[in-house]
Amino acid sequence: MTTASEAGQPAIRTVNLVKIYQTGGLPVPAVRGVDLRVEPGEFVAVMGPSGSGKSTLVHMLGGLDTRTSGEIWVEGRRVDTLNESAWAVLRRQQIGFVFQFFNLVDNMTVADNVELPALLAGTTPRHARERREYLLGELGLADKADSAPAQLSGGEQQRVALARALANQPRVLLADEPTGNLDSRNTRDVLRLLGEVHRQGQTIVLVTHDGRVAGLADRVVTLLDGQIVDDGAVAPRRRTRGGAGDVVELRS
Amino acid sequence: MNAAERRWIRADLRARRGQAILTVLAVAGIVTALITAATLLEDGTNPWRGLFARGNGAHVWVHTKDAPDPALLRSLDGVADIAGPYRSAPATFALGGKKAPVALQEMSPVLPAVGRPIVRDGRWLDAADPAGVVVERSFARASGLRAGGAFPVVGLDGRTHALTVAGLAESGDQGFYPEWTPGLAWILPGTLDQVEPKIARSESVVGLRLADPDDTALVAQHAITKLAGQVQRVTTWREVEASMELDNRLLGVLLALFGVAGLVAAALAIANATGGRVLTQRRDIATLKSLGFTRRQVARMLLAEHGALGLAGIVAGVLCGRLVTAYALADTVAVPLSPVPLLAIAFGAAAMVVVAVWLPAWRGGGTPPLPAAPVAPPRGHLSRLARLALLVRLPPALVLGARDAFTRRLPAFLTTFGVAVPMMMITIGLGCWATLDAFQRHPERVGQAAPLLARPGAVPATSAGQVALADPDVLAAYPGSEVDALVPGQTRTVRARALGSVTDPYPFSVVEGRLFRDRGEAVAGQGLLDLLHVQVGDVIRVTVGGTPVIVRIVGRVLEPEQDGEVLSVPLDGLAAKDALPPQYHALVLRPGADLAAVRTRLQSQGLEVSYVVNPADRLVVIRVIIVALVVVLALIGAANLLTASAVGLRDHALDLAVLKAMGLTPRQVMATLVTGTGLLVVLGAGAGAVAGALLSSGLIDLQGAASGMGAGIGRAPAPLTLLLAVLTAVGAALLIALIPARRAARARIPVTPR
Repeated sequence: MTTASEAGQPAIRTVNLVKIYQTGGLPVPAVRGVDLRVEPGEFVAVMGPSGSGKSTLVHMLGGLDTRTSGEIWVEGRRVDTLNESAWAVLRRQQIGFVFQFFNLVDNMTVADNVELPALLAGTTPRHARERREYLLGELGLADKADSAPAQLSGGEQQRVALARALANQPRVLLADEPTGNLDSRNTRDVLRLLGEVHRQGQTIVLVTHDGRVAGLADRVVTLLDGQIVDDGAVAPRRRTRGGAGDVVELRS
Repeated sequence: MNAAERRWIRADLRARRGQAILTVLAVAGIVTALITAATLLEDGTNPWRGLFARGNGAHVWVHTKDAPDPALLRSLDGVADIAGPYRSAPATFALGGKKAPVALQEMSPVLPAVGRPIVRDGRWLDAADPAGVVVERSFARASGLRAGGAFPVVGLDGRTHALTVAGLAESGDQGFYPEWTPGLAWILPGTLDQVEPKIARSESVVGLRLADPDDTALVAQHAITKLAGQVQRVTTWREVEASMELDNRLLGVLLALFGVAGLVAAALAIANATGGRVLTQRRDIATLKSLGFTRRQVARMLLAEHGALGLAGIVAGVLCGRLVTAYALADTVAVPLSPVPLLAIAFGAAAMVVVAVWLPAWRGGGTPPLPAAPVAPPRGHLSRLARLALLVRLPPALVLGARDAFTRRLPAFLTTFGVAVPMMMITIGLGCWATLDAFQRHPERVGQAAPLLARPGAVPATSAGQVALADPDVLAAYPGSEVDALVPGQTRTVRARALGSVTDPYPFSVVEGRLFRDRGEAVAGQGLLDLLHVQVGDVIRVTVGGTPVIVRIVGRVLEPEQDGEVLSVPLDGLAAKDALPPQYHALVLRPGADLAAVRTRLQSQGLEVSYVVNPADRLVVIRVIIVALVVVLALIGAANLLTASAVGLRDHALDLAVLKAMGLTPRQVMATLVTGTGLLVVLGAGAGAVAGALLSSGLIDLQGAASGMGAGIGRAPAPLTLLLAVLTAVGAALLIALIPARRAARARIPVTPR
């Protein structure tokens, strides 16, 4: 994979990606012909109003949802033709997910939640524990390792979810409205962390309908009715990140 | 299995300890009940095993003229130990005009290591009481002997010796009296010398205990060769076992029926528990799949988790079953269940667990990997009926609960079914109970109108009837004889019973056709009809006591004896040489008469009176099994309900917030939840009780027919009993549903999911 990306392969590429839901016999198109190219190390925000198909798009990129037609390439490998199990293996090795509602496994402790993907990928329990200790330490949750997810605040839960997504050092991090369920203070914390992992070279695709969140990205792709209507770099706005944070701070 | 899978299983088990324990308990309960039932059955139908094990019996008994050299026999290949040699002398037991041959066998006051009689009553031989003998129990029972009673014996020289019964003992070394004659009594060597001074008139008995019972024939042959010319006869454990074995098919098939139904109920409980758990976990499972768990991994994980619970239950059940039979039933059961039925139960239960868990696990594996997608609780709107109910001011909790009960069709059906099946089984169990009660309270309806049989004894055979009728409690005395009858196409004989006469017939329980009215007519039990492949109305030829007879079978009677293979004819229908004088009189007593008192009175008149064995007395063990099964089934029902409540609560997590927002009090919310579960329980319990009541008498009749006794014995449980059972079930169910509902109604409900 490293060789593929060094050869100039995009981290993710879609070709004329289409998703049509069948609701009560009526075809409802959610994504209509999206061509997207995400370079390694890039931070792409996908924006758009509710129902514009942005969540569906990112779910298809991670294989959580099947495409109706079109192609998906990850690290130069065509993956839309994979079966469910192959997708699962791909996810566990190369794709990390962060969801709006955190989706931590309630029965397991924070430590178990974070170690789970590493163990799943076949890492030894000792290595999984070391990685978990490192990640939770980085995210300021070292003392919460033995807590149940339900005992944590929303922001803390989302940080645990982020640690879990990064446990296997995935090539791509897919985040679906990661701040959609958080207050401004926790939003800021999570965004700071995303920025940090991005600076370490992490490829990120983030779905949001919040302009300030999107402002953190290198590039913003705007969807409307399942089609890309705008795609542009937002480099100048990155410098005003602190400013946006101040606005949030004022309002809270 | 992957470390991640193991960790998830561990976490999930920890999170729902109570439910997991309940599943283990339910399975363990079923397996324990099955093992206990099978052990009791095996012990009941094969008493030899227990007696042999307790008495450390000898496999081969050799009877010789002179005492053999013990060292010679001990040195035989395959012989582990020997018992004896003991001297054994024939004598005649004579008490109150009754005479019976008896074998007096010497034994020391110290019980031997091999071939020990098991003292059941009184005490063993004691050197301080030389006149005391210990009598074999079946012989004592047949002769009406008790510990402390007199045991007068007449030696071959004609002298009478006044011995006393010191105790009663059982032995696995010879069969029961009267199938195995002569009767056996153990006596001190010194006393035996007095009764039979001449060594030449006695024989020597020696028992060989073998290292491997399979070598019996070979070792017996070697012993005969070694003791050349001395051997008079040899008996082996196989003959003893065969003579003791009861053909108790009725019990066996009933137990098998219970076993299968119990397993089905347990399978249902496990499938329900697993299915319910998987349903409540869909979100977690979806999360796992988004992390990269494959379908196969999820299915394997669920199968391992729930299967492990079931297997733990089986292991616990096997251990419990062993402990129960070893300690709680130590007095009745001496030998644990033999390996074949034990393995059959264990593997049957294991296969059932795997099958029951596999389907929900596979379906759980197919959960789509989209954790964000909410499991849409089924939408429904208030039906017209519900709106009408609200209009007439029925409590809203009731209406909402009733609506909730049926919104999710499949779980509703599963819950109802999960309650109905145990309830049906319980009803069938109650039906068996009622049938046994009917047997005991109204033996005249199952072909046992006469509870006592009087044989002439010391009274002249011709006047025995008059003597019996003179007793105030005896209503009628029917003269009867039993002879062997040879039927065409059969190599063995069946019993022909001549009882009553054409003009004064015995009150048989005729369930099909009519009673005989003429000399050429007969009635028969189901067993005989099946054996001869004939039906009521057919004419058959039999040879009764050497005389060919042609009779028409005009009716089918309930026949508890001889597996129903009995042909009953009027006494005057037999040739005079077979019929006169009658062997016995069947005595019908005044209702409420005291059997024992009548028997004692008639015995004192010189008659020999015996009880008729009620088939229900042989089936007492079934009552124990019924109680145990009801407990286990209740446990299974409870497990099903807990699952249903958990699933119901999950579906309602969102609704509850809405209901509270609408202004329902916690009490009303609780009532809504309890109604939702309770309605299904009422339906299930009602349906189960009705199905059980309809099925039970039919099933028991089917069983009766298969055992030869004949259809017509089945009784449905009394309506009051049934009502009580249903009310208890519903009450218990509501209590079970109340606990989680109460907790849910009080809990702070988050408005957004997580």
